[in-house]
Amino acid sequence: MLRSLDRLLIVVVVVGWLLGWGNHAARASVDQPNSSQEPLAIIVNTSNPVDDLSQPELRRIFLGERSHWPNARRITLVMMEPGQPERKALVTEVCQMNESDFGRHFLQGVFTGEVFVSPKTLASPVGVRKFVFNVPGAIGYLRASDVDSSVKVVRVGGHLPGDKEYSLRIQPSRASK
Amino acid sequence: MSAPEQPAANSASRSRSGALSAVARYNYALLLLLVFSVEVGVSIFVIRDMRAASVEAQQMYARSVLGLRQIGELQYQAQETRRSTLYALTTNDSNLQVEYADQSREADRRVTDGITAYLQQARRPNEIEVGQRLQHHWFDYLKVRDEVLASILEGSIKEAVDLDLSGGVPSFERVRQDLDEIKRLYDEQASAQLARVGASSRRSVSRLIGVVCFTLLFATFSVWAIQRGRMLAAVQLAKLQMDFVASVSHELRTPLAVIRSAAENIADGVVGGKDQLAKYGSVIRNQSLQITDLVNQILRYASTRDRKQQYTLKPLDVTAIINSALENTAELARGAGFSIETHVEPDLPSVMGDSAALSQCLQNLVGNAVKYGGPARWVGIRAFLKEGQGSREIAISVQDRGIGIEKSELLHIFEPFYRSPAVSAAQIHGTGLGLPLAKSIAEAMGGRLAVQSKLGSGSVFTLFLPVLIKPERPVGQEVPRGATVAQK
Repeated sequence: MLRSLDRLLIVVVVVGWLLGWGNHAARASVDQPNSSQEPLAIIVNTSNPVDDLSQPELRRIFLGERSHWPNARRITLVMMEPGQPERKALVTEVCQMNESDFGRHFLQGVFTGEVFVSPKTLASPVGVRKFVFNVPGAIGYLRASDVDSSVKVVRVGGHLPGDKEYSLRIQPSRASK
Repeated sequence: MSAPEQPAANSASRSRSGALSAVARYNYALLLLLVFSVEVGVSIFVIRDMRAASVEAQQMYARSVLGLRQIGELQYQAQETRRSTLYALTTNDSNLQVEYADQSREADRRVTDGITAYLQQARRPNEIEVGQRLQHHWFDYLKVRDEVLASILEGSIKEAVDLDLSGGVPSFERVRQDLDEIKRLYDEQASAQLARVGASSRRSVSRLIGVVCFTLLFATFSVWAIQRGRMLAAVQLAKLQMDFVASVSHELRTPLAVIRSAAENIADGVVGGKDQLAKYGSVIRNQSLQITDLVNQILRYASTRDRKQQYTLKPLDVTAIINSALENTAELARGAGFSIETHVEPDLPSVMGDSAALSQCLQNLVGNAVKYGGPARWVGIRAFLKEGQGSREIAISVQDRGIGIEKSELLHIFEPFYRSPAVSAAQIHGTGLGLPLAKSIAEAMGGRLAVQSKLGSGSVFTLFLPVLIKPERPVGQEVPRGATVAQK
């Protein structure tokens, strides 16, 4: 019996260590952005008057805690399907959560009424871009290379995706499609 | 018919038959030319009308049929714009909704382009007005459509339906009405152009029928005129030949009667003595010569008609030609008691011609002058140089102060076997070949024969011969280089 408990403890410790190492490694890679990592652009409809968002504002928007833009347009969140590198980068970098926490947050928020907006899920970057193009209050995200003139890129913390100081980037190892 | 009416009727009949024979002479060329001209005219009209009808039909197709097709396409695409928008209502899948939104925008782009194209080709004020109105209403609808799409994508289905009912349906209805009006305009234009094409076609058919009828009538008349002309010409020729035979018989009968009488007298021994025999011999010789001359003239004319006569052209002195003719007609003139007055301009240039033929030509003219010279018994011969614009001719005129020729007869005196009724009535004998032969010789020498006459005052026949451009010594002074040409 004791032997069995010892074995279980060892497994738990090893798994915990492995998980902790993974998180640590991920945090380390975010804390020290690499210039080779592709930027993640935050896009809105061209009619949206907002040009710049701070990281906390962005987090509140993507967590559904803000319902309207300054022009009174309803905010519509556009997300890519789970597993996409862009989504992972947003959930991690902006919402500072993992995927399961993010999903749980919305389930709980809709149930309690704390979350005003539930995200729309699109399968491809083209779908995201077209959605944002069609909906004046939409906000979404794309690789910087997928952005075109049909949507507007907002500054995050005063920086655009091309800037060196721009903080939202996609992990290279996980960005491969 | 009284005696004085007879010549007038004959003259009218002759002039009519002359006109018809002229038609008959140029029958084929004339008929072909006129029928060809008429056919060309008909063809031009028909081609012009067909081309106009073709252009009308093409315009009708381009403007109306193609226009209707474009409007039909616009109507379909406008419906597609709306249909795709409404399809987005039927699903909660954002990916599908975006796809429907995309389809709607594609369709609306085609409608917008179609309206722009319509406005560019619109010409009439009502077309432009309805086109601009359609464009305005279409943009109004698109604004509503964008809001509806945004609401659908946001997930606000009720809001989207409310927006569509309050704004989308009425604005789309206005678009539909505008498109119907444009379609009606195209229909009206198509009807008008169809009416124009029909009128043009009817006009073409009427023209075609009219001109074909005219052509048929004209051709029928031409054939009738040609056949009648031929018949009259044949009748006239037969009459002329009969007259010719009668005339020649008459000409032969007198000398033959004289010869027979002389021969009978000699045979019966009535003639005695050497002097009387010599006198009878002279009579027989003269009458024989007269017969020979007559036969020669007939044969010469026949040879000119057969185009067998060959002339040897040489440089000739005008005085020599005249002298030769005078020598051969001296006895005739003397016998008739005529005086011949000759005036030849000095230093006349030479002419190119056949000596014997030209002498014969002048002899015929002098013989005619003696025959029809009347009581004045005078014949004048003049030779002079006539210079015109770029041409130099020798003119040899033979003038008499005799009975003259009627104006209407002048057209016929050069026709073979023709003899004026007045001359026949006056018992002046002849074959009707002298003047045609003289004219034929003149033309064979590159010259011409002209006549001026006044009834009761006399006639002037003038032989014009071209002057030799490079002067050569006339015949007799040097052996000339001859040239032989076929008589025309």
